Amino acid sequence: MAKAMTLLWGAGSPPCWRVMIALEEKNLQGYNQKLLSFDKMEHKSKEVLDINPRGQLPTFKHGNTIVNDSYAVCFYLESQFKSQGNKLIPDSQEEQALMYQRMFEGLTFYDKLNAVIYYDWFVPEGERHESALNRNKEALTTELKLWEGYLQKLGSGSHVAGPSFTLADVVIFPTVAYLFRFGLSAKRYPKLGEYYNLLKDRPSVKASWPPHWLENPEGQDTLKDI
Amino acid sequence: MAKDMTLWWGSGSPPCWRVLIALEEKNLQGYNQKLLSFEKGEHKSKEVMDVNPRGQLPAFKFGDIVINESYGACFFLESKFKSQGTKLIPDCAGSDNNCALIALIMQRVFEGNTLHQKMVDVFMYNRRVPENERHESAFKRLKETLTTELQMWEGHLKKTPGGFLAGENFSMADVIVFPSVALLLRMGLSEDKYPKLAEYYKKLQGRPSVKATWPPTWKETPGQELLKDI
Repeated sequence: MAKAMTLLWGAGSPPCWRVMIALEEKNLQGYNQKLLSFDKMEHKSKEVLDINPRGQLPTFKHGNTIVNDSYAVCFYLESQFKSQGNKLIPDSQEEQALMYQRMFEGLTFYDKLNAVIYYDWFVPEGERHESALNRNKEALTTELKLWEGYLQKLGSGSHVAGPSFTLADVVIFPTVAYLFRFGLSAKRYPKLGEYYNLLKDRPSVKASWPPHWLENPEGQDTLKDI
Repeated sequence: MAKDMTLWWGSGSPPCWRVLIALEEKNLQGYNQKLLSFEKGEHKSKEVMDVNPRGQLPAFKFGDIVINESYGACFFLESKFKSQGTKLIPDCAGSDNNCALIALIMQRVFEGNTLHQKMVDVFMYNRRVPENERHESAFKRLKETLTTELQMWEGHLKKTPGGFLAGENFSMADVIVFPSVALLLRMGLSEDKYPKLAEYYKKLQGRPSVKATWPPTWKETPGQELLKDI
């Protein structure tokens, strides 16, 4: 099964990491994979464009099936491989509902993170404004307080949508890991810090940990004052 | 079931419209609903904030369950009411065809978010970006990005002869994406430049769930011309 899969991915990409965590959780180790470089513009190479006309990573193929959006891949894998690996969508109606709610809030969360840490990547030099970046930082701060609140309500040791590890964790943990990599203060955001510690040693997370983070254990401090 | 549901929504908002369509498709007519006005700031009212601290619409409650993300509500409704109304996501029980179909549906569902964002980036530019931060170059780029995106969807529709986004059957992809396409046309998108999108729009306009939930404010006022040159 995994041998019929190919993942083209890039370092520094939470969406790619989501797919890798999902593959591990569903016991699909052994998939073909290729690490590409965003800096060298390899996401716009023919190899990627042939599969994904958007020239984006992750790009994922399973036999003749192509799925390139990280959330889409996660849902696809959970559907097709429902009965193997870990169950990622809970049966309980309440847990499921909270999982869906948090998963899709996760898209907003990720956008707000990008708007700060990748501001210069996304905005051409002549269009950058201190005022815009400040506004983005305030938006991220508001967003972070929401997630602290969510985790606080669920209690210690909880996953992001309740007692079980679900698709919500698959898609949200990478965002949280990036927050800390970029210097977020665990003192100011203790619940997020707890959540990060809870999952950083989970097998699927360890197995897919960004290789350049292993080489350079120290991250950046872009978010230290957030 | 529907009687235990309440939806707070705004007319013409694609995220709200997605949930309205999903409720119809799953035969959940009879839910409680409250139409609010974005212009009057009612999405920031206490009534909404009590359900959705983000002060956004749609806000959706089902008993004690609260789901304020349109995608989340649609997925939840499909999951909970799988066996009634239209099947929006097929089952995939070792059947390769259905699994590949799920992949296509999911791909289009999530590309729908990209389409919607790019559209909003253009028509909300002046509302979101303070005057001193606006650049002709930025706005031009956003329009070009939207154009490229729309051409991609023209391509998608050319490749699915069934007429729906994922082939021959109406699916979750149509629930999610149709409202954005309708808004594009409402805002003046050229039917000549985007014939497949126009065809898709006309095809779905006649669908019962779409007719039943057509934005009331659109019936009263003409559209705009903002996107006619895209």
